[in-house]
Amino acid sequence: MIAMGSTENPDSPVAVSAPRARVAPFIALAVALVLALFVWLLATRDTGDAAAVSSPLLGKIAPPIRGTGFRNDAFDLDLQRGKWVIVNFFSTTCVPCKLEHPQLVELATRHEAAADLGIVSITFEDSPAKVREFFETNGGTWPVLIADTGRIAISYGVAAVPESYVVAPSGLVARKIIGGISADGIDQLLLRLGS
Amino acid sequence: MNATLGGAANVLGLASAVMGVVTVGYGLVRHRPELVRVGRRYAWLTFACALAAFVVMERALITRDFTVAFVAEHGSSRTPALFNFATLWSALEGSIILWALILTGYVVATVVKFRTRVDDPLFGWALLTMFVVVLFFFVLLVGPANPFKAFEPPIGYDGPGPNPLLQNHILMAFHPPMLYLGYVGFTVPFAFAIGALATGRVGEGWLVATRRWTLFAWGFLTLGIVLGSWWSYEVLGWGGYWAWDPVENASFLPWLTGTAYLHSVMVQERRGMLRVWNLSLLCATFALTILGTFLTRSGVVASVHAFSNSSIGPLLLGFFALIVAVTVGLIGWRGDRLRAPGRMDSPLSREGAFLANNVLFGAFAFVVLLGTVFPLIVEAVNNNRISVGTPYFDRMTMPIGMLLLFLMAIAPVLPWRKASGELLSERLLWPALSGVGALAIALFIGARGFTPVLAFGFGGFAAGAALRQIVLASRRQGWRGFVGRANGGMIVHLGVIIVAVAFASSSSYSHQQELQLVAGQTGSVGGHDITFVGVTTKELPEKTLTQAQIRIDDGKTYAPGISIYAFSGQNIGTPSVRSRFTEDVMLAVLAFPDAEGRPLTVRVIVRPLIMWLWIGGAVMAVGTALAAFPGRRRNPTAPVSAPLPERVVPALAGA
Amino acid sequence: MATRSRFFGWAVVGALFVALMAVATFDRDNGPQNNAEREFSLAAQFACPVCDGQSVAESEVPIAREIRKEIRTRLDQGQTNTQIRQYLVGLYGDNIDLKPKASGVTGLVWFLPVFAFVLAIAALVAVFRRWNNQTPAVATDADRALVERALAHAPAAPERVVSPQDPDDHDD
Repeated sequence: MIAMGSTENPDSPVAVSAPRARVAPFIALAVALVLALFVWLLATRDTGDAAAVSSPLLGKIAPPIRGTGFRNDAFDLDLQRGKWVIVNFFSTTCVPCKLEHPQLVELATRHEAAADLGIVSITFEDSPAKVREFFETNGGTWPVLIADTGRIAISYGVAAVPESYVVAPSGLVARKIIGGISADGIDQLLLRLGS
Repeated sequence: MNATLGGAANVLGLASAVMGVVTVGYGLVRHRPELVRVGRRYAWLTFACALAAFVVMERALITRDFTVAFVAEHGSSRTPALFNFATLWSALEGSIILWALILTGYVVATVVKFRTRVDDPLFGWALLTMFVVVLFFFVLLVGPANPFKAFEPPIGYDGPGPNPLLQNHILMAFHPPMLYLGYVGFTVPFAFAIGALATGRVGEGWLVATRRWTLFAWGFLTLGIVLGSWWSYEVLGWGGYWAWDPVENASFLPWLTGTAYLHSVMVQERRGMLRVWNLSLLCATFALTILGTFLTRSGVVASVHAFSNSSIGPLLLGFFALIVAVTVGLIGWRGDRLRAPGRMDSPLSREGAFLANNVLFGAFAFVVLLGTVFPLIVEAVNNNRISVGTPYFDRMTMPIGMLLLFLMAIAPVLPWRKASGELLSERLLWPALSGVGALAIALFIGARGFTPVLAFGFGGFAAGAALRQIVLASRRQGWRGFVGRANGGMIVHLGVIIVAVAFASSSSYSHQQELQLVAGQTGSVGGHDITFVGVTTKELPEKTLTQAQIRIDDGKTYAPGISIYAFSGQNIGTPSVRSRFTEDVMLAVLAFPDAEGRPLTVRVIVRPLIMWLWIGGAVMAVGTALAAFPGRRRNPTAPVSAPLPERVVPALAGA
Repeated sequence: MATRSRFFGWAVVGALFVALMAVATFDRDNGPQNNAEREFSLAAQFACPVCDGQSVAESEVPIAREIRKEIRTRLDQGQTNTQIRQYLVGLYGDNIDLKPKASGVTGLVWFLPVFAFVLAIAALVAVFRRWNNQTPAVATDADRALVERALAHAPAAPERVVSPQDPDDHDD
């Protein structure tokens, strides 16, 4: 026996099957809806990198920083309570860091008298000789840690340099700033955050 | 001068494409075939314009004409000549020129090949579809992706050159054009599918007519993907060749649906079934090429490969939405006609196997697509940023891969319509024995672990089945037993099996370590002795190359190094690889010894069977070429279904 | 091939398969041999925080190397993979883990494909059942007349339809 489908329309070479034919538009509609949703999803995404400034550390006690700078000046973050501290991660090979540096120097100068703000620079995977040369050329007298600094970087969740963490006098992490600070920006931030 | 010439070529191309769409469209709607005939001329004109744009841009690149913005941003007087040529496709706008050139080339080839069918409305609609796609790409060229913007170079200006990563290897010259020949090639069968849907002639004619075009496109897509993996392995220095990176996935997705389509059409040719599957798979393949282009050029997903952002994103997404809307609409409209005249007799049959094949490849594509866009979905839902990477893809695709290997073993021996257990047990015995043999060999050479060893076993099983087919065919037909769709297909299967086995072993049995060595010291990784001999430096016009001389196992010395590119200041590593059939040893320098006494830091990666990845890819390419070889000429009116049994014919004749 | 020897052949295949796979599964462990290698295989499961698209194992930027060092230190201290994962995610967020969580919205990425696959298989089974339950069409006189007309116009004799490239059809 030759199965040829239904015999409703014997002259049609393409057999038309029994009355289920109306299903096709519904399936098509369902598929279309899913795909429309998909297109909407893609259309509403951010293109390029929106700077991620959230950090799991915000509002928590700043991870400890203990070490000796390249000028043999000791530094302990916990002993800085009562002062704002800018924890600055940088590298001598990073261009935005070099651009940021004068701002740090300016910031240090502005707060020298009041002694209410300290800065500590942390560099890792950098050559001590280059760091020394950098600070000698560009100024800056605050502690600069160069040894055993990788673990500190990880404890802060540093992804790239330059990154700075603003630590409040209470010891909590108030802000994470990526890409470079400016002296004015920090001062305004301090005003906003109060004392 | 170059800028104006190129810009003019693009505008003229756009105008021709518009004329083509209008002429052919009007001719089809008003049933005036002479208009369609005339409309073909615009295909030639668009090709000429695309070619002109290509030639002008290449000339600008080679002569380092910095008055053209694209050259100013990507060219350089220090880049060697061959790389200047390839610089065209190393950045966004230039790659669109390449796309337009290949696309219009395909359209012209179609016009020539089907010149006897110009009055057929199916061809007319196909041509119209192709013109619309050409129009879109010229819109891109004249609009957001315009490479011919003018630039005023200051005195003594020299461009930065292409990304140094792209200058490192000759493969950069080949990988994108191959990939595009594949991607863009799917436009032709897609256009015919639209033609078939539009005219309602959804039978087998259009499939058979475009079979070789599809095979051609698929072959180049395969080659492009393999070359991309090879380049990634040779250049990037982390020993990997596939990272499930969004750009890689973007090229892999159309490959998956395209492969399913290539198999599934055989069922439609034979029995008229799976029409909706075939149309959906083909249209999905084309849509995925556009979606993939969107994903890689819009910056929506972060990737190592991503091109620079531009406003090209919304246009590509819009085009994707258009394709999806038209396709789904047409298939929904023609739903009734797509119902098959016959039905599947048994799931244990070749039709059943191809249906299973479609489901498995569909699942594969679903997993890859879902994993790629899932971070976007999560971000939209609850603003969290998550990552979906290799661990996910490996775990989800592994079972699918295993099932596909198993299917590859039993499908070639399955007859059409219905198989009996008896028949299978007879035909599959030798392949099963070779599978178990492969298992034994694997264990003998030391492989352990359920998953990779099972993969070897299934691979042996599938190879046995493929070889059985080839042996039987060559016994019956001599040299013709190696050509034609079925036999070429078996050779492609062998290539796939080789790649799968190599993939499984390098995933499971690699060794990787970082060694710190001072001059003269030896370390050990994966059974090899790595000795650091010394450092050498080379000065070249565009870069300074510092190399560490490292000896492997008392044999040759290899020289991985780091290049410092003068202009951009970028440091790019140049790894060094010792390739043998059994395994590769890759060396990548991380840090040189310095004045402060820090030692050499070198990453050593030992991976088995890497060479077989490339060999398998070559086998696939050869198999594809063989499959395209024309088979014995069949009488076109010979029926393709099962023959009428003898006793029925006289009964009918007498009725 | 005679049925008896074929049966024997399959018995051999079955037995060998089970035996060999048992050896493969339960014999000595084939994973990373020492902590130096485990460092990399674990690092490959985390995304480099800086560079788009590379894992910590692949990337060479300083932070990636620091994270690898940290992983190694913790491995040497005897921490498990899970503990190290928790530590890194706590610092960098879910973003860093390349293996999506299995819970919450994120868990969908694991669940959806399985669900879709099961659904597809169920749909196929349902369709097959329905096909098999439909009574096969019976040729009516109109059908026979149609076939007779078509055959009358057909070329001389229907050619052997087997594709010359398909060896198994020849065996039928």
